[in-house]
Amino acid sequence: MIFLQQLGSLGIRFCRHLGTSGLFLLRVLMRRTEISKDFPLLVEQIYFVGVLSVIIIIVSGLFIGMVVALQGYNTLQRFGAQAQLGQLVALSVVRELGPVVSALLFIGRACSALTAEIGLMQATEQLASMEMMAVDPLRRVIFPRLWAGFIVVPILAIIFNAVAIYGAYLLGVLWLGIDSGTFWSNMQASVNFRIDVVNGIIKSIVFGFVAVWIAVYQGYYATPTAEGISRAATRTVVYASVLILGLDFVLTAMMLEAW
Amino acid sequence: MATDAYVQFKNIQFSRSEHIIFKGVTLDIQTGKITAIMGPSGSGKTTLLRLIGAQLQPDKGQILVQGQDIHRLSRQQLYACRRKMGMLFQSGALFTNLSVFENIAFPLREHTQLSETMLRDLVLLKLEAVGLRGAAQLMPSQLSGGMARRVALARAIVLDPELILYDEPFTGQDPISMGVLIQLIKSMNQTLGMTSVIVSHDVSEAASIADYIYVIAGGQVIGQGTPKEISNDASSLVQQFMQGLPDGPVPFHYPAMDLMEELEL
Repeated sequence: MIFLQQLGSLGIRFCRHLGTSGLFLLRVLMRRTEISKDFPLLVEQIYFVGVLSVIIIIVSGLFIGMVVALQGYNTLQRFGAQAQLGQLVALSVVRELGPVVSALLFIGRACSALTAEIGLMQATEQLASMEMMAVDPLRRVIFPRLWAGFIVVPILAIIFNAVAIYGAYLLGVLWLGIDSGTFWSNMQASVNFRIDVVNGIIKSIVFGFVAVWIAVYQGYYATPTAEGISRAATRTVVYASVLILGLDFVLTAMMLEAW
Repeated sequence: MATDAYVQFKNIQFSRSEHIIFKGVTLDIQTGKITAIMGPSGSGKTTLLRLIGAQLQPDKGQILVQGQDIHRLSRQQLYACRRKMGMLFQSGALFTNLSVFENIAFPLREHTQLSETMLRDLVLLKLEAVGLRGAAQLMPSQLSGGMARRVALARAIVLDPELILYDEPFTGQDPISMGVLIQLIKSMNQTLGMTSVIVSHDVSEAASIADYIYVIAGGQVIGQGTPKEISNDASSLVQQFMQGLPDGPVPFHYPAMDLMEELEL
């Protein structure tokens, strides 16, 4: 009986959070924007959440590309198919690893910071003081952060893809001795721009939007204490990561027309 | 009191979860006057300011600001009303990512189209008024608590509001800054005709500049009047608070079981 009660309470809490976060998102998106004031804020946030994430994306992309190439080469050479390495790496990276790993890195690097920043602004009454100055915090604080995430995640995914493929090239061609022409031409022949590249970018747009939505919502509704902010940042990382992995499956199934 | 009230509380009831903060508070904040709200910790003084700014919603009753029920205004009307208000928060609430200069320039940038030169002059004048012109380029993390509150005060008055709400303005100020602040609040009130509401624990400082005082305890107004009337108030509740006496009808201890019983002695 107690178990059922707890399950019911969990379900109600989940639905309440879902409703609140949906309304929150709607309120943010319905704000009237003032281009002259909001554009500089958007650029500033693109710098903080995007430009400052580029290094981690490049380093991770390089290593992941090299690891995939190494593993792929070891498996393919058993069948004498090492020439297909370019194809293997490009498809794995462009379809799956690029959007998913860049989104996960973005969550760890930027989303947790966004939650902590907004939570701290709430705890130190900065958002309340904005309200009292007749400045809408949803427009001034949340809106530029939400759009910045939406814009930068696909760009980060494209950078990740390019660097990972270059990492695979370094390892496969320059180290393991695969012919450069074979590597690139097999890749070019097997990767379809519309099906592989565009679908990967669509995935990263969805991931970016969901991740930043969770981050700003958790920050805005964080309990205004040190412990509350820490918990909110943890929730952001956990919820956003799990949701992105789940969404990846759903989107992949839809894109492969398995549904 | 006269009816020229900028803010009117009409039988306000407010509670947080199970805890009742106000049980039928009625009071008037007179236009152009300095009104001090006093009372022991936890009596709801800050809550009262937040109710005036419509950051909190009362359970029952009405709060009229310039005759308008502030809790029934549309968002646009509410923001128009808040543009005439300034609030000094207890914590200062400075934007930690902006310098002192930019903190004060913030409301000007949001609500006016002033040129950079004009904006700079205005910000520096306000900083001069609170004695911190030299700190314009510092970040909030480089300020002491008292300095941060003075910067917050400069930000609250930068748009020359009609109504200004001070939440504990004297806390953390050294005697010199305190004297300057008292003079500043008084002179703004007299020269600009601002209506001021001061929430404070500092009985003597608040009483020295207030035109009218309300003492709140137990969710109700327990005393009101001019500083002279309040100091002569016969109520033991009011006298205990004004004189800072530990024993009296206002309990010092939060409700709890007997100490001996709890220590099992």
